[in-house]
Amino acid sequence: MNEKIPFYKKPRVLFVLLILLGSILVMTVSYNNGEINVGSNLKYGLDLEGGSWLQLQLQGAIAQVSADQGKIIQSEFARLLDDPTIKIEETTLNSITFTTSKQTTQKTIDNFGFGKSTISQAPDGGTRISLATSREYTIQKYLENNLKAEIVRIPGNQLTFEIRKTVTEDELNTILKPVDGRVIPPFTVGVSSETRDETKKILETKLNSLGLKEMPVRTVGNNYILVDLAGVDINTAREIASKPGKFEIRIQVKGNETEHVLYGTDITPGLPEKEKGDVWGVSFTLSEAGAAALRDAAIQYGAVTAPSSHNLIMTLDENVVFDAPLSPDLARNIQSVPVKNLVATTGTGDEGQQKANQLQIHLRAGALPVKVDVLGAGQVSAELGSKFKSQVLIAGIIALILVAIVVSLRYKQPNIVIPMLATSFSEVIMILGFTTLVGFQLDLPTITGIIAVIGTGIDHLIIITDEVLAGGAMPPDKVYKSRLTKAFTIIFSAAATVLVAMSPLLIMGFGALRGFAVITIVGVLIGVFIARPAYAEIIQGMLVEDNTKKFVDED
Amino acid sequence: MNLINEKAIDSYVKNFNFKQMLYFPAILLAVSLLILAYTSFFVQGTLTEPGSPVELGMEFQGGMAMIFDSAKTPDQLKQDLAAYPVIQAREYGGVRKMVQFGPMTESALTEVTNKINSEYKNVEIRQMGEVVSKSLQGQALRAVLFSFLGMAIVVFLIFKTFVPSVAVVISAFADIVFALAMMDVFGIALSMGTVAALLMLIGYSVDTDILLTTRLLKRKGELNDKIKDAMKTGMTMTLTTLAALIALFLVSSGSYLVSSFTRIDIIRDVSVVLIFGLIADIINTWMTNLGILKWYMEKGTKTENRIETPKKRRQTT
Repeated sequence: MNEKIPFYKKPRVLFVLLILLGSILVMTVSYNNGEINVGSNLKYGLDLEGGSWLQLQLQGAIAQVSADQGKIIQSEFARLLDDPTIKIEETTLNSITFTTSKQTTQKTIDNFGFGKSTISQAPDGGTRISLATSREYTIQKYLENNLKAEIVRIPGNQLTFEIRKTVTEDELNTILKPVDGRVIPPFTVGVSSETRDETKKILETKLNSLGLKEMPVRTVGNNYILVDLAGVDINTAREIASKPGKFEIRIQVKGNETEHVLYGTDITPGLPEKEKGDVWGVSFTLSEAGAAALRDAAIQYGAVTAPSSHNLIMTLDENVVFDAPLSPDLARNIQSVPVKNLVATTGTGDEGQQKANQLQIHLRAGALPVKVDVLGAGQVSAELGSKFKSQVLIAGIIALILVAIVVSLRYKQPNIVIPMLATSFSEVIMILGFTTLVGFQLDLPTITGIIAVIGTGIDHLIIITDEVLAGGAMPPDKVYKSRLTKAFTIIFSAAATVLVAMSPLLIMGFGALRGFAVITIVGVLIGVFIARPAYAEIIQGMLVEDNTKKFVDED
Repeated sequence: MNLINEKAIDSYVKNFNFKQMLYFPAILLAVSLLILAYTSFFVQGTLTEPGSPVELGMEFQGGMAMIFDSAKTPDQLKQDLAAYPVIQAREYGGVRKMVQFGPMTESALTEVTNKINSEYKNVEIRQMGEVVSKSLQGQALRAVLFSFLGMAIVVFLIFKTFVPSVAVVISAFADIVFALAMMDVFGIALSMGTVAALLMLIGYSVDTDILLTTRLLKRKGELNDKIKDAMKTGMTMTLTTLAALIALFLVSSGSYLVSSFTRIDIIRDVSVVLIFGLIADIINTWMTNLGILKWYMEKGTKTENRIETPKKRRQTT
């Protein structure tokens, strides 16, 4: 018999107390830079904090295709050169040779972008053109021309492309048909995970540069991105997602004084790459006007003679993203001619590479690699959010009071009612502790979930109470144990149905109700495995065992 | 004051046979189904092209809605916003008004958002693309079906006998049908919140059914005594939950209690659906489920003996 151990020393009760203490600590104490702060650590969702959210769909498709390279060259150059008599002479792995009856120059052919060309006179008076290109590149270019969209090769997969535009399988087949090509299933709507991650990173960078830290940008599948923006109205949110930022190059005049040189519209960014040795950098090309403006500024402010005291400063939406002097070589060159091709070096090693990637995003002025459609959006003003917050709290308190009244009317003994309500309340604390620990946001759906869990929780406590007190009194230990087992059989069955019934919400609707589902599931588990067993021990300790009654017929 | 009137339970258990118990819920289920059919054939769709049995909310239809505080009447708001494709403007509890918009250009969208944000207070905006909302419709339907099937499987695994399991599943089904029918009657549209509540209801409403079935099938004792005890426990469970839900409903419904309260849709949706579901659950647990169980147990003493000793039952089946 356990009579000698008071209920508050039993392991299950101690365990709950320990978790409660932990939960309260997690919720109230934070550690930051050697300082311990006390205050609420609960994170609230946008609907309680005020802000906007966007559900973005990335436009694109991934498809493996086949097509005849010769036919592509024939039809494309027939169109480009306005010559129906294109004849393919020879195709090798990385070149294709054909003849045209027209006269043309190497520059014209190169500008079509199908590959570097070699030109010779054909015996019958036309031009013989040899293009250094692969089958893969030819198809890519063909798709680019006919879909008017950016096409990216997916590395590792033969003839598989990411089409950065909404296109259907049928449309793609129609385009490929004239060149003996077709889509090889499966055709996937969406973009590659790399593109998705790049888009996500760009969005994050943009948000960070706007001072919106800790903005969760979440991805769902390969073509959805969810953005939460606290304290921002919906129009600003839409702008951030869809419009590029303002990129500017300025030149240092003296000390902190800078002057405008050119805007991002004059810049075409290249790719991050290794320059000399281990030094990383991003190349970019300036327009004629941009190059002239840079030269004028460099001469006017003396950067050509003393580059190190006249840094070039790049800003995105007025935040500095790059700040370095002109290289001595460049300073000399620029004095004589405007320079169009430039490289911004960012340093060596992994760090240099990372900075180069970052800078490239900035150079694109936050333009996203794929077009995004706003599928859904929402806004709750900050004032409304705080109203919701206080109202939810009031709702919770009133609900608790009403439950207390109902339970008191039924049981009348404070020995039962108080442990019951305390257990229920402890479940709330433990759930909140869990949400803080995993960094879960409390929003209206999750709070609704918590309230729902408390509802089932009270139900289970009632089942335990009625089961062990059947006949109106506390039975001896052995009978008590067997009755408790019976109570938990019912509770586990009931909990199982709730868990199974809620699970579809975990995957439904872009996770809109995932918070609700997770909280319900976690709450039910906490209740069933931690809080309710402890409650059973508490009431056993609180109630006096009745030895006058006979507990027959029970095993 | 007592929460549970034991005398009433006594006389109910003594005086009603299983047939009498089943009449009322059968009629209720039939009426609920008729309401859903009516909505599907005459309100949301036509005889040849039936629509959804419940009104679809914005999340499942697509579109944009703005909810804000305004002293203006819905008609005045309509006039004010005549330059934009307003589908409807209506009261939304107290000073709250809701305006629903049809598709518009990006610049119009920016313009009207700015206008509302600058002129009115406590603005809430929801926008849902049509394609997504269509896919959400399918997802919601699947979620409810999977949830129900999952629940049914768990129930069969728990009881491992056909009739008692079916009784639980029928009761849960009747609860959901009633809750859906009441959504139609009270004009509550299907939203993310109501879908969540329906799933919650699927898991939740079987609690009392499981309690009843376990107590009746797996315990010794006189049948009517077991029923009475189960009913006492079950009614307490449902009543506490109802008490909490009514508190939630009142506070989230807006200015019924306190004039400064504002409507909180998701909590209101969830509480309303659960309140109706639990009212149905009282009827379906203590009439439908109990009626079927009583019939099943009174079929013959053989059955009863078999059930009283579960170990033997397993050997014989």
